[in-house]
Amino acid sequence: MALRTRIALTFLLLLAAVLAAALLAVSETNRRNVERDAGLRLDAGTQAFARLLDSNRRQLTHAAHAVAADYGFRDAVSTNDTDTLVSVLENSGTRIGAAMVVLTSLDGEVLAASGSQFTPGMRFPLPPVRMDSVDGDNASGFIVDNGRIYQLVAVQVSSPLPVAWIAMGFELDAAAARELAGITGLNVTLSVNARGRRADTVSTVPVEAIRRDDVVTRRIELSQSNDTEIAAVLSRSLAEARAPFESLTRALFLIAAISLVAFALAAFWLARNITRPLQDLTRAVDRMRDGSYDVTLGVQRPDELGVLAEGLQLMQSAVHSRDRSIRRLAYEDTLTGLMNRTAFGASLGEALAGAEGARIAVAVINLHRFRRINEHLGYSVGDAVLIKMAQRLAAVPSVQSAVARLAADQFAAFARLQDADSLQAWGTSLLVALEGPVFVEAQPIDITATLGLALAAAGAVSADELMRCADLALERARREKRPLALYEAALNPAAPDQLSLLGELRHAVEHDELRLFFQPKIELSTLRVVGAEVLLRWQHPTRGLLGPAAFIPFAEQTGFIRKLTRWTLNRAIAEAARWQRAGKPLALAVNISADDLGDARLDSRIAGMLTQHQLPPPLLTLEITESGFIEDPTRALALLDAIAALGVNLSIDDFGTGYSSLSHLARMPVHEVKIDRSFVQGLESDLEFAPVVRSAIDMGHGLGLKVVAEGIETEAAALRLRNMGCDIAQGHLYAMPMPLEAFETWLEGRVRVPVIAVPVDFPVEDLADTVNLAAY
Amino acid sequence: MPRRRPTGFALLALLLGANTFAGMVTVEVKTTAGINAADAVIVFDPLDATPPPSHDKAIIDQVNKQYVPRVTVVRTGTEITFPNSDRIRHQVYSFSKPNKFTLKLYAGSPPTPVVFDKAGLVVLGCNIHDHMVAFVGVVDSPYFVKTPASGSAALTMPAGRYRLRVWHPNEIDAAPPREIAISAEPMTIPLVIDVQGASTTVAAWPE
Repeated sequence: MALRTRIALTFLLLLAAVLAAALLAVSETNRRNVERDAGLRLDAGTQAFARLLDSNRRQLTHAAHAVAADYGFRDAVSTNDTDTLVSVLENSGTRIGAAMVVLTSLDGEVLAASGSQFTPGMRFPLPPVRMDSVDGDNASGFIVDNGRIYQLVAVQVSSPLPVAWIAMGFELDAAAARELAGITGLNVTLSVNARGRRADTVSTVPVEAIRRDDVVTRRIELSQSNDTEIAAVLSRSLAEARAPFESLTRALFLIAAISLVAFALAAFWLARNITRPLQDLTRAVDRMRDGSYDVTLGVQRPDELGVLAEGLQLMQSAVHSRDRSIRRLAYEDTLTGLMNRTAFGASLGEALAGAEGARIAVAVINLHRFRRINEHLGYSVGDAVLIKMAQRLAAVPSVQSAVARLAADQFAAFARLQDADSLQAWGTSLLVALEGPVFVEAQPIDITATLGLALAAAGAVSADELMRCADLALERARREKRPLALYEAALNPAAPDQLSLLGELRHAVEHDELRLFFQPKIELSTLRVVGAEVLLRWQHPTRGLLGPAAFIPFAEQTGFIRKLTRWTLNRAIAEAARWQRAGKPLALAVNISADDLGDARLDSRIAGMLTQHQLPPPLLTLEITESGFIEDPTRALALLDAIAALGVNLSIDDFGTGYSSLSHLARMPVHEVKIDRSFVQGLESDLEFAPVVRSAIDMGHGLGLKVVAEGIETEAAALRLRNMGCDIAQGHLYAMPMPLEAFETWLEGRVRVPVIAVPVDFPVEDLADTVNLAAY
Repeated sequence: MPRRRPTGFALLALLLGANTFAGMVTVEVKTTAGINAADAVIVFDPLDATPPPSHDKAIIDQVNKQYVPRVTVVRTGTEITFPNSDRIRHQVYSFSKPNKFTLKLYAGSPPTPVVFDKAGLVVLGCNIHDHMVAFVGVVDSPYFVKTPASGSAALTMPAGRYRLRVWHPNEIDAAPPREIAISAEPMTIPLVIDVQGASTTVAAWPE
């Protein structure tokens, strides 16, 4: 339930409860008041009624006395003449308004009567008359005569001693009842119960009305004789008594209803007044959560909500500034202020997604020999150089918003180009911007940059792919020692399949699709087997058996080669060890790529594998291409020294094609060189190659190294090489690379150069790391 | 009262003159409570002789709004005068059948005396003073007496048979008249009456 509703409802319910209690109390009080009031009124009315009757009685008695004392009347009475008496009685009755006048003897015998059914000689029902006799000479009471009720007074007629009674009856008719009712404020009903038969003679209300429940009554016995009972019933209608209270209650209900409605409106208004700013704040906070920090909280109030709003506003700016700094840390290179790799990737991704029709060019820039600056001049100088270079790069108009520092000495930039032809020009403009010595503390530092460029149509590739293309181009430029290279499809034969190829390659390692092939090495002088080169084949599930050219260059470009090499080394060492244990030791040569030399722990890995499989190190030869030394010859040499120290043999592969200087060669701890197959093949077709080959062989020998020739296909070539002093040969002439079983079969009956090798224990630092290939 | 005494004596003289064998009779009237009863009327109706009519005179005065005396016994044919000793006027009336009359309001001496010529009880009243009541017993016999406060009275009458009547205004359950023989010897007749009747009623007159 919304806060607003809750607040409003709470107060409403409270008010309703209070009102209900008040109404209940008032109703209850009213009810009691009505009853009490009715009772009081009834009591008062009853008293008044009794007094009225008594007062009537007195008045009538006086009147009757007056009549009885009248001399003429007494005179008439003394005549004892009935007719006269009746006329006198009529006359007297008329005088004082008595409807019934009866003259009786002192014994109660009717002497004469007027206005009644009594006739002379009848007995007048004196007992009721005497009933409440107060004086000796008068009496009063009630009597029913001819169905009518009379209030009766009787006085003695004295002449001068009592001689008779004159009884005068005043009818209690409807008019009298109304008068009584008017004075007492009660409804008056006079009822007669004669011989068990009850009759309501006179009533100011419908008789049924006084029998109802909501009527309170008082009964007054007026007269009771043996067979006749006269009573007055005074009643008061509770409904009537209730009327004024009911109008009060109605008014209260009306007030309650109005106040409830008014209160509801007020409560909702108030609650709204509170909750609306809360909603505003909630919306503002929602917007902040979504990363919008320019929210202005429109809540300007002097109350707590205003304070809250102010607090939120402050919090917003605090969060905003923190967010900015976090973003800077996350997406910015702290040294140069340029984007980092993540931000650049995202930015490039956006550009690729959004630049319709345009082409996006990416440049990956490597600072040449930057490591040396750090090493020789110190990191502060290196940092200064980086900052300068970043400034130069950022100043290039075309790349202003998309410059990044990817790694220590690597920058990147991208730009929108209208056509592919301007790619080279853009790259050149970057180079131009970066060239020239950098002055740090007035000291000129020469630094050059190498650039890899890649171009993509918007939407064609992902940012990642495009950057990898540029990386490949950079790699090529470095390898070819050119300042700039464009990405071409040739750099990456399987370009469209690159990503899937990488996945497949991982799959191949994990699911044992790679095969070791063995090509024997033959001692030319004796034709004995001195060892074999281990070559890698891929039993691809759909493309069949693939040669190294199909995946090794790709593996080298993507860095996956290291995993492949480790896998190969492990398997080759395992095989060699098996042969060694079988008493048929054979030296195996495994190719190591230039990238593998970047693995500083290669030596310890190899040591671990040797130890694990108990293979004497001399039974392992690593063949290294010359290009492996180019990038960082010092490190490469150190690594090779460490490996050689294990007792493992080293061989220079593709000897003669590389760029390595002879000085390097001389310092390298190698045991043999392997003349590139292009020389050997040239030797077979072109005689002019012979001196070159001979020189290479002589150089090898001159350095104290064994010389191996590969790619030998003809006897002639073999013969020549032997004549030139080449020690070992390898090629189709002797054997194609063979799977394990075929190679072992081939070895049967062949004479081997005997090898005496003893397994050596090496301290193993990280054995698990070397063998757990499945994890790659 | 002083005027009445000569009447008694006259009557006595008359009786003595006619009959030398007159006896003296004393009546002693007491109430049932043993108290001497005043205003009791005792009448001896002679059964052996018829007394001659009377031409007596009597007076009933009106003093302090009271009739004085309240009870009077007279012989038939007696003239009663109603002087008014009060300074206010009085009216005198009688609705009694034997002697109905009215004296209009007057002061001082009344215009004429009233002749009571029929035997019986006459109740007198004043029209303007309801409480004024007087009783006049009218008898044919010359032998009667009204008891004084002592309740005892004496009279003489010839010996012979008589009918004895006793009346008192407040008497109830009165004994009926009875015959009595009077000798020449003095005799005392004790009488007991019940006088507990209400003041507003009057005992029936024994005829």
